[in-house]
Amino acid sequence: MGTPPYRIWEVNHRSETGVFMEEKKFINERVIPGIRRVVQKYEIKYDPNNPVNMDDSMADAVWNAAVEAFLSIGVYNTTTHRIIEFTREELDEAFLGLPGSYLFGAGKDARPFIARKPEDKTPPFMLFSPDITYDEKDHFKACVAFLKEPLLDGICAPILEDFFGRKISSHSPTELGGSLMHAMNLRAAARLVGRPGIHLVAVGTAEADSSQIHVSDNEYGIRTTDSRLVASTTELLTNNEMMNKALHYQQFGCYSGNLAGAIYGGYAGGAEGTAVLQTAYHLMGTLLYSSHYEQNFPFHLKYGSNTGREMLWIVSTYSQAIARNTKMPQTSNGFANAGPGTRMLYYETAAHSIASTVSGANLWEMAPARNKHHNRGTPLECRLAAEVGYGTALSGMTRKDANGIVNTLLEKYEKDIPEAPIGKTIQEMYDLERAVPGDEARKQYEEMVKELKNMGVPFPY
Amino acid sequence: MTEKENLIHAMKSGDIGSSLELTEKILSEGIPAAEIADFLIQAIKEIGEAFEKFEIFLPEMMFASDAMVEILKVLEPRLKEEGSDLDKKSAKIIMATVKGDIHEIGKNIVITLLNANRFDVVDLGSDVDSLDIVKAAEREKADLIGLSALMTTTMLGQKEVVEFLNEMKVREKFKVIVGGAPTNQDWADRIGADGWANDAASAVKLAEKLINNKGVR
Repeated sequence: MGTPPYRIWEVNHRSETGVFMEEKKFINERVIPGIRRVVQKYEIKYDPNNPVNMDDSMADAVWNAAVEAFLSIGVYNTTTHRIIEFTREELDEAFLGLPGSYLFGAGKDARPFIARKPEDKTPPFMLFSPDITYDEKDHFKACVAFLKEPLLDGICAPILEDFFGRKISSHSPTELGGSLMHAMNLRAAARLVGRPGIHLVAVGTAEADSSQIHVSDNEYGIRTTDSRLVASTTELLTNNEMMNKALHYQQFGCYSGNLAGAIYGGYAGGAEGTAVLQTAYHLMGTLLYSSHYEQNFPFHLKYGSNTGREMLWIVSTYSQAIARNTKMPQTSNGFANAGPGTRMLYYETAAHSIASTVSGANLWEMAPARNKHHNRGTPLECRLAAEVGYGTALSGMTRKDANGIVNTLLEKYEKDIPEAPIGKTIQEMYDLERAVPGDEARKQYEEMVKELKNMGVPFPY
Repeated sequence: MTEKENLIHAMKSGDIGSSLELTEKILSEGIPAAEIADFLIQAIKEIGEAFEKFEIFLPEMMFASDAMVEILKVLEPRLKEEGSDLDKKSAKIIMATVKGDIHEIGKNIVITLLNANRFDVVDLGSDVDSLDIVKAAEREKADLIGLSALMTTTMLGQKEVVEFLNEMKVREKFKVIVGGAPTNQDWADRIGADGWANDAASAVKLAEKLINNKGVR
C-alpha cells in the first residue's frame, strides 16, 4: 500500500505566504520556549535508572507534548524566511491516511516494512547502514559485503568521497557523477549477490536536490521500489532544496523517509525536550514532506552518538510515543561511540538494538566511531544488531526485561564513552576480495555473541 | 542576595530586562562600569565552563550570552568615559559555514562562546560562497576567519577560501581556523589553515592564541 501525498501544493504555498521571521527569532522565540513549555506542562521526566521507558503514560505524554509543540512552533523555511504552520485537523487527516505497512523492494526480494508496536513479536525491518564514506576503490566491494548479509532487508550503502580519483565537491558535477556511481555500484552489487530487487535507500552521496533527481531511474539508478531521504536541519528548519527533493520523490513515485536527528543538549535542552522534538519530527515528515516513514537519529551534541544512557531513554520513549499513537513506520538509526572491531561497539550495538526493537522501532544499524571516520564501518556490527533485533522480538521480551539487560550492557561501556576507541577500518577487518570477514574479525564476532548470550542478550539461534 | 548577585543571576538566566534594569541601578549607585564588567565577564566564563561540562545546555548558554551582549551595550559608553581597557572588543572574527553546507549549529555555538569572550563576531550564516567570505573579511577588516563544514563534500569549501586568500594575495592579513565533523588537524595542515578546533571551547582558545600571536589583543 502507499500513502497519498499530503496536499503538497497547499503546503508548498505556505512557504511563500507564512509568517515572516528571522531564523534566530524562530529558534529563540518559538523552538526553545515551545519545547520547554510542553515538557513542563506534560510533566515529562527522564528516568536514568530505566534507560528503556516502561511507562505507557510517559510515552503518551511525549506524543501529546510533541503535537502541541509542533502545532505551536511550525517549520521554518530558511530560503523564504517564512514559517509553515499546520492545524490539528490537518494532522489528524494526514495520519488517518497512513496504511501502517509498505512492501519495500521488488519481486522475490520485497520485504514488508511495518509500523511495529512496543513489545511487538514481529521482527523489525533490518536496514543495514554504515553511514560513512569509503575509499572509491573499495566502495563496490563494501556494498557486496553488506548485501551478502542474509538478515539484511534493505541497505543504505557506504558513501563515496571520491569520484574517479577526485574529491566529490557538494553541488558540483563531481557530486552528480559520484551519486550515479554510488547508485550503479549498489544495483550491480545487489544483482551479483542474487538480490536484484532488494530495497535501497539511496543515495547518501547525493546532498544536492539535483544529484538526487539525477539518480532517479528504474533502469540503472534508484527505482520506484526504493526509498529516498529528505532531511531537516537543526531544529525544525527546512529550505527549498529539501522541499524540491520531497516533491521529486512524490512525483517520481518512490518511497521517502524523513531524516531527522534532534540534538540532545541543543535547542531542545535535555533528554525530555529531545524526546519531544524527535517525536515532533514525525509530524513534520508526514505533513511537510509527505514522508512514508521516519528515519530517526537523535544524537548527543558533544559525542555525536546515541547509545549513552540518556540517549537510549530518548530512543525508547519517542519510539513508543509514535508506535502507540500512530501507524507511521519508524526506523531507529544507531550511532555508536566506538569503532569496528572493538568490544565496546558490540555492547553499544546490542543495547541500541534492544532498546529500539522492544519500543516498536525498525532497525537502521549501525554507524560506528561517531559516524566520522572514513572506512570505519563493517557489516558485522549490523549483523549483530539484526540478530539481537530478531532475538528481542521473537523471545517476546518485555520493556522491563529489556531494561535489566540494557543496564547490564551500559555498565560495560558508558564510562568509556568520552574516550571511545575508533577501532579498525573495513580493510583491516575484511577480506574485501571475497567480501567476507577476515578470520580474526569472525572469531571475535563469535566470541562476542557467546559473551552477550551469557549476559542475557537474546539471539534467535 | 546583593544587587551584584542579582545581576549575575539575571544575566545567567538570560533575563535581559532585569539585567539591564539592575545594571542601570548599580551604575547609578556609583559603581564603576569596569568593576561591573569584570564580575560579569567572570560569570559568563563560568557559563561557558558549565556548558562544556554539560551542566547546562545550549539554550541556557545562548540566552546568558545574549543578556551579556545587551548589558555590555549599556556599559560600553561608561567604560569609554572611565578609560577602561574593557571598552573595546579585542578582535574581529568572521564566521561562516562554507559553500554548499547548511548546517549551522556548530558554528552558532562557537559564535556564542566567542561573544561571551568579548570577540567582535560577524556571522555570515551558512552556505556562504568562498569569495564572499574573503570579501567580507576584507570589508570588515577582520583579524580571523572561522570556517565550519559538516560534510566531506563541503569541507573543500574551507580549502577554497584559503586558496582564494592566497590568489588575492591577502592571506597574511587573516588567521584562518577550521572545524566540523569531517575535519581534523591533518586537514587543516594540508589546506594551509592556521589551526583546527575539535569543539567550541577549543575554538575559542585557539582564536585567543592566534589573535595574541598576531598582536591584536
